[in-house]
Amino acid sequence: MNAVRRRNASAWLLTDGGRRVNPRLRAGMRRFSDTDEIDLVIVGCGAGGSTLLQRTARAGWRVAALDAGPFWDPEADWVSDEAGSHHLYWTDPRVITGDDPVPLGSNNSGRGVGGSMIHYAGYTPRFHPSDFHTRSADGVGADWPIEYADLRDYYRAIEQELPVAGQHWPWGDPHGYPHSPHPVGGNGEVFLRGATRLGITARVGPVAIANGRFGSRPHCIYRGFCLQGCKVNAKASPLITHVPDALQHGAEVRADCMVTGIEIDERSGRATGVRYVHRGRERLQRARMVAVAGYSIETPRLLLNSACRRFPDGLCNEFDLVGRYVMVQGAPQTAGRFDEEVRMYKAPPPEVSSEQFYETDPAKPYRRGFSIQTVSPLPITWAEHVAAQGHWGTDLRRYMSDYVHWCCLGALCEFLPLPDNRVTLAEEKDHFGMPVAQFSYSQCDNDRALMRAAQGVMEEILKAAGADEVMTIGRYAHLVGGARMGTGPSDGVVDSSCRTFAVPNLLITDGSVLPTQGSANPALTIMAIAARAADLLIAGARSGNSQGVGVAG
Amino acid sequence: MTAAAGSGPRSRLGRGGLPGGTRFPGFDVTTQARHWDPVTAGVVLDRLRSPEPPRFFTAREEAIADALFDQLLAQREDPRVPVTAMVDSRLAEQRTDGWRYADMPEDGQAWRESLRLLDHDAAQRYGRGFCECPEDQQRELIQHVQDLGSDDWHHLPAGRVWSLWTRYGCTAFYSHPAAWNEIGFPGPAYPRGYKALGIGSLESFEVHDSRPQDDPAADGQA
Repeated sequence: MNAVRRRNASAWLLTDGGRRVNPRLRAGMRRFSDTDEIDLVIVGCGAGGSTLLQRTARAGWRVAALDAGPFWDPEADWVSDEAGSHHLYWTDPRVITGDDPVPLGSNNSGRGVGGSMIHYAGYTPRFHPSDFHTRSADGVGADWPIEYADLRDYYRAIEQELPVAGQHWPWGDPHGYPHSPHPVGGNGEVFLRGATRLGITARVGPVAIANGRFGSRPHCIYRGFCLQGCKVNAKASPLITHVPDALQHGAEVRADCMVTGIEIDERSGRATGVRYVHRGRERLQRARMVAVAGYSIETPRLLLNSACRRFPDGLCNEFDLVGRYVMVQGAPQTAGRFDEEVRMYKAPPPEVSSEQFYETDPAKPYRRGFSIQTVSPLPITWAEHVAAQGHWGTDLRRYMSDYVHWCCLGALCEFLPLPDNRVTLAEEKDHFGMPVAQFSYSQCDNDRALMRAAQGVMEEILKAAGADEVMTIGRYAHLVGGARMGTGPSDGVVDSSCRTFAVPNLLITDGSVLPTQGSANPALTIMAIAARAADLLIAGARSGNSQGVGVAG
Repeated sequence: MTAAAGSGPRSRLGRGGLPGGTRFPGFDVTTQARHWDPVTAGVVLDRLRSPEPPRFFTAREEAIADALFDQLLAQREDPRVPVTAMVDSRLAEQRTDGWRYADMPEDGQAWRESLRLLDHDAAQRYGRGFCECPEDQQRELIQHVQDLGSDDWHHLPAGRVWSLWTRYGCTAFYSHPAAWNEIGFPGPAYPRGYKALGIGSLESFEVHDSRPQDDPAADGQA
């Protein structure tokens, strides 16, 4: 049997043919009662939550994951259409502020089982070894309490489970990928042509789209709608890479459940379960351990909203760290115009990338760097790019009619973690009566310098490839931080195993634990960290260091 | 209502191209609808039906929004993409992105206020309502908001109002098959996908640009 299948059979548990879900698996899912004290309840069923769910279910734990959104059926719930995919995003009210407020919603939030990996592009690069100690090496950012070597095996394991396709990767810790690279479309061809002429190294991948059949998952059909949810089941998301195996091993996924609070026993200071709302009714799931994986806005919001007598300023917030050091990546998008027809909407948007500018270059006035990747906006997103140049009316329509001639690249700039880039609670309440998140963001000089440098390199690549005109839109991508990992409670919310310093049986296993973000898309790293946290948790339970988890592995 | 979204020739835009959609002769994405999966086809073809009467905008707001979108998206003659009706149903069903700037009201309220302010500006400057102004005056009033950049327009940050208008307008307009015909985009691609990848490659159902040198970026005559 395939080695991946032995440890994660998700792809083989999906059904073949027209259906994209396995109805038997979902109908036969184990269902715990609220009054059962299960071993672990997980809040959020995205990259971090689903990985932890699958690992602990495999170890025999009684575990359930609650998600605020639906348990998707790709065939029935998703469409091959931009405007019709609005329901994939987290669109509850939020307030944004600061000098450089970050729009939320479509581009950096998920909702439902699979989380934002349902609509991420599919890029799954690793972080570089340098990312784990930027404070000591570059004098900026933060040092993690772990090093790259602590994650290497988990990176490799998750790359096999997704699986990831791409050329041999020469940057960071050089490595290969389990699947060979996909063919590229017009956008990727332009990037490779421009990079070659400038002597910039670019590579095809790394993309979490199987190249060839994988279990019951079919081959990619190159339709270009990766960001609208993959109806094909070719692009990896936890919905198809980890949840099926978790269900097969007795886990429960409880969809449409909005968790509104973590219950704490005031006497012992331990978590006893979570309060949640399902179909308008408040319920309480008891558990020996709680893991929060709601991502960088909802995780801090939930901790702050779970204040109690013992933790009056919010759970795990004695040192005023919850919600701080949230990061986005600066993600300018630069497009170039060619007389040829590029037709960037064909083939997956994630095709080619370069990490040549990822590390600190001592010759530059800024620290750290950026990566460059193909992005291939569909018409609505492309209209936003064109309108951002100030075009409207006839001018806008003429630019838009030229769509097939444009190629588009995007950069990911490593914005630095800053304490005042943070999530707090607003006065305003949502329909659950819960204060909504307010997210404040302001760039520092290094951030702005990186944005300019990345734009310059993208313009050079496009011009070298033959573009006669270029245009750029400033934007952001991804979210990490907000409950960062540290060496002790005064510099982190969780320790190196994702366990909170304040509450011994509470974990955080999502992107909010990242102290820095590199110039890499975060999904793979979030899954690797969750897989490592799961291993440590399971090993601890086996050796008796369970901190209250009374199960054997 | 000066321009009823729910009746008259406005609602008849369906198969076929838009005025100005001459770069891709004969290209009509709806002829491929039989190759789309049924869920997607349902969502997309629904946009071709006669729009519902407004549920969010008042009659006056609807008229101002119609005039605004006609200018923002250069829709000068029928048939038109029913942008106002599409925006109206998003706002009525609260299909917004959820977030708002701390110095802006939520999207629905921001729409009502910004339309009222446009009408107010028209009355101040030209002594009549925004939709009663001739088109060049409407364009001047709109241009004024864009020109304010990051300054305030009355009590609202102008740049954020501009972003609200263009975001909603473009999302509606470029979700319509008629707009796809104009830009050469074939729309839904499941379950068929694409086989001809790469620069200059065409599927059998795609059409080459008949005016590839018509580069709006180069000729500066937008």
